[in-house]
Amino acid sequence: MSQKNKGQSSRLDRLTDTLVEDILACSDADLLAEAAADNDDGGTLARRAFERASRTVAVRHIARNKSPPPGRRQAPANIRALDPNTARGWLDAYLASNPETAGQLPRAVRRGKKLSDEDVYGMLEALQQRGVLTEKPIEQSRR
Amino acid sequence: MQPRHSGASLLTQVEVKRAISVLTAADWLRLHKVARALCREAAFEADDLLQEAFQRALDGTRQCTRTLDIVHFLAGVMRSIASDWRKARKRRPEMSLVTETGSLQDVVLQVRDSAPVADEVLAVNEEAARLKAAIFALFVDDRLAHRLLEGIMDGLAGAQLRSLTGLSETEFASKRRLIRRRIDKAYPKDWTP
Repeated sequence: MSQKNKGQSSRLDRLTDTLVEDILACSDADLLAEAAADNDDGGTLARRAFERASRTVAVRHIARNKSPPPGRRQAPANIRALDPNTARGWLDAYLASNPETAGQLPRAVRRGKKLSDEDVYGMLEALQQRGVLTEKPIEQSRR
Repeated sequence: MQPRHSGASLLTQVEVKRAISVLTAADWLRLHKVARALCREAAFEADDLLQEAFQRALDGTRQCTRTLDIVHFLAGVMRSIASDWRKARKRRPEMSLVTETGSLQDVVLQVRDSAPVADEVLAVNEEAARLKAAIFALFVDDRLAHRLLEGIMDGLAGAQLRSLTGLSETEFASKRRLIRRRIDKAYPKDWTP
């Protein structure tokens, strides 16, 4: 952009700044009188813009809260990427730190017997879906 | 208008929302007029600018100090956004993402050369000169307003600007209002009559 062009732009910028300054300094009564004389519905349009902005921010906030917290994964498929021993280790770790849940299981199950790999994966997925399973980085324990 | 609490120097997002919610009819109008003034120079809508400013205030991207009037704060946010949007329009990068294999590593970023060609510079200069002449033409019947306008465009402000015309503060405010009103009527949406 040439100096002359820059100069012309900044001239208009200065004018715009002065107009904004005047609007901000204008009394409420004068502004309302102007709006009445011009049939200006800017006030209504501004309120609508605020309502749209509020909705957008609220929707974004909800979407952000839906994403899983750090350290937890929601996709059940990830559990199937664990090797069976690691999956059993995760389940054991969960049961060890949640004795009230472990107490509800049959004794044989508590000792890790009679649980097929499929049972282990199924239980981990159920815990994962409830959001109570704290997962370790899955890359370290891939099948 | 604006809740003031002891403690943190910035309004919380809840406080910002509350402060905006209880604006007076005149303040809503004031905000829209500011948005229109800032949009006149660029091809974007006042409602979009206003909405973007509200969003940035509500989501905490822009923060308002407790000592600042919320309307002045929002006007400042709009000014900043409008400046960014204008710069983005001037750069006109026209970026496009091209993937041939669908793989992320193969993404190619193509950016158009944004340097204006001589014809474009000439056209912009001519348009700016024409516009300046048209704005001054609105005040051919008012020598004081004409002089004030020259001072504004030359970057004078405050007492320096007032002394140029010899007006009192009240007379100066009144003349500045006259300038704004005429420009509003002649250019209600953008700098196209």
